[in-house]
Amino acid sequence: MRKIRTIAVYAAVLLVVFSCSSVMAAQVSLRFSDWHLTEDVWNKSLNEGMDIFHKRNPNIKVNLEPVSYGEKETKYTVESAAGRAPDVFHVHAFSLPMFFSKGYAKDLTPFIKKEGPGFMDAWYPLPINLVKHKGKVHAMPGDYMTMVLFYNTQMFKDAGLDPNKPPKTWDEFLEYAKKLTRDTNGDGKIDQWGFGTVGAKSPGFTLRFGPFIWSFGADYLTPDMKRSALDSREAKEAFAFFVELYTKHKVVPPGLTAMGAQDVRTQLAQKKVAMIMGSGWTPPIVNKINPNLNAFEVLKAAPAPMKTKQATAIWLSSWVMSPNTKHPNEAWKLMKFITSKEIELKWFVDNRVTSSRKDVSGVAPEILNDKFASVMASQLPYGKVEPQIKQWPEIIDTFTTSLQEAIVGMKTPQKALAEAHKRINAILAR
Amino acid sequence: MWVFFVLPGVLLLVLVLGFPAITSLSYSIRPEQAGTVSYTLSNYSNLLKDPFFNRTFWNTAVFVFLSVGSHMVLGLAVAMVLNTALPAKPLFRVVALLPWVVPDVVAGIIWKWMFDPIYGAVNDILLKIGFIDTPVEWLSNPTLALFSVILVNLWRGFPFVMLILLAGLQAIPRHLYEAAAIDGATKVQSFFHITIPGLKKMIVVALALDIVWEVRRFGLIQAMTRGGPGVLTEVLSTYTYKQYFQFFRFEYASAISVVMTIVLLLVSLPYIWMISQEE
Repeated sequence: MRKIRTIAVYAAVLLVVFSCSSVMAAQVSLRFSDWHLTEDVWNKSLNEGMDIFHKRNPNIKVNLEPVSYGEKETKYTVESAAGRAPDVFHVHAFSLPMFFSKGYAKDLTPFIKKEGPGFMDAWYPLPINLVKHKGKVHAMPGDYMTMVLFYNTQMFKDAGLDPNKPPKTWDEFLEYAKKLTRDTNGDGKIDQWGFGTVGAKSPGFTLRFGPFIWSFGADYLTPDMKRSALDSREAKEAFAFFVELYTKHKVVPPGLTAMGAQDVRTQLAQKKVAMIMGSGWTPPIVNKINPNLNAFEVLKAAPAPMKTKQATAIWLSSWVMSPNTKHPNEAWKLMKFITSKEIELKWFVDNRVTSSRKDVSGVAPEILNDKFASVMASQLPYGKVEPQIKQWPEIIDTFTTSLQEAIVGMKTPQKALAEAHKRINAILAR
Repeated sequence: MWVFFVLPGVLLLVLVLGFPAITSLSYSIRPEQAGTVSYTLSNYSNLLKDPFFNRTFWNTAVFVFLSVGSHMVLGLAVAMVLNTALPAKPLFRVVALLPWVVPDVVAGIIWKWMFDPIYGAVNDILLKIGFIDTPVEWLSNPTLALFSVILVNLWRGFPFVMLILLAGLQAIPRHLYEAAAIDGATKVQSFFHITIPGLKKMIVVALALDIVWEVRRFGLIQAMTRGGPGVLTEVLSTYTYKQYFQFFRFEYASAISVVMTIVLLLVSLPYIWMISQEE
């Protein structure tokens, strides 16, 4: 009898163990990596989003892997080459051509087909084109925002400028910037500047220089992207205008070539500069740096000033599925969830980033009634993206190198731009 | 039988050192564009034609020469001070080591803030004591940028040299100095005839290791300047990183790595020779 009881106990234990292991086996683990996980506001928002996903998909466990903004391409390149990239990861659109050409992004067409016709109609056409490789969608579009001019209304008032009349042209912008460059404490030294911008070799540079070069009617490359277009009169004017803001008019704070995006936002938060180029992320970050500024109240947004035409740069992020994922269906579920209408709206409400979905950015009252997002959304028709070719990171680095040489006075703007033109042609001819 | 004892070590070395080295070498002789040839030396010939590479090579030489030179001078000076009958010596030793334990990138970020022309502590102090009239653009001035990075690297790297030389100083018998003093030798004479010869081996070790580390120095420069303004602070390690992870030119980046390795091997030869002589 005792023997039978013992066997029964063992059988019961084994049953419990097997049941547990079968439940565990049924739960799929996904690796999800995003640079936003290193940012306070976004981290909280993403964790909340994943809680919702876990409730709806109890058989999927998403493990979050933070990565710094500057290191994300390095991490994903190395991991992809080793066949160990996260199942789903987030990249800036300009990295996509390289990930596509190396085969580091899974073709999403089969999943999209399964969703039925018209699934991708909810997105704007431009981001859809940018995530395509050889005609097939290889990534899902994420944040989609235009760069606009952010300015401090109080500093405008203090300088005798009307905060309801932001500069519309670059000539007006220069006049405003000169008035905003002041000695505020009367010690005979300038301690406030009109405009803060990125001059360091960082991804943030392209976004902030785009409104200059494109609104002057110039471009980096020819339309077929085979040659540099920096020898045009318009390109020379745009380049010289940007350089002279620093060298001649001195409306930009010292140390421009070392300034990254966060340095510039800090300058705005600390009232050292009155205007910067930014986008949806600007007010929350500035508010975080200096809550005493009351950024959501004191800041205003306006379209980027123009020269010959209205133009600005577009920020697009995208979600990539690794071709090495062992759980493509679950990874697609996650991608579909984080790019859904409901969650894209959550990303906006929490983080102020507008969506690449038309049915969010084009209609949501939360966006259309927001004083910053409404300006960003109004500029979408004038938005441009940097050339989507794999040589682009090298081209923009070459361009920034020349720009820095002109800014610090090593070369004249004309000579520096001519050298950039020559070097970019050599890169494209390689 | 002895083969079985050394086999695990050899296998481990092959795996962690040999495999990446051979992979890198094989990448460096592959063409960047898929074509008819499987192997080529074009990546190496392109290096010679690349004006940025030439400038970067020169920058690296200046950076390493000045960094290592200043590490040796300051390291020896501090080691000699710490080798005296200083009160609270252990405390000073810990303090002197602090810059060395700060990670490269953290040191770079901290010093970038300290050099900031508007908020930076360095300008603030210099303005307050009347040493300068207007803020200095430490990292944006073409004349100062590389030297500012070297200055920070001096602070960051001297404790390592100091540690090695301090160990060497402690091994020099005291009675040599006492005998020299009785014979009427000055402190300068004792330094050149006792201290320096006594430290010869340690100096070679410190020199060789510091040169290798400074050629590879990456995080500090990347965090402070990203190679700018222009390419004035670009060094071989940042340039390789850029080619590899920003431009995704794996083959070209591998060629730069191979050249760097050859240069480092050449520089390390005296050290390797010295070690082999001892054995």
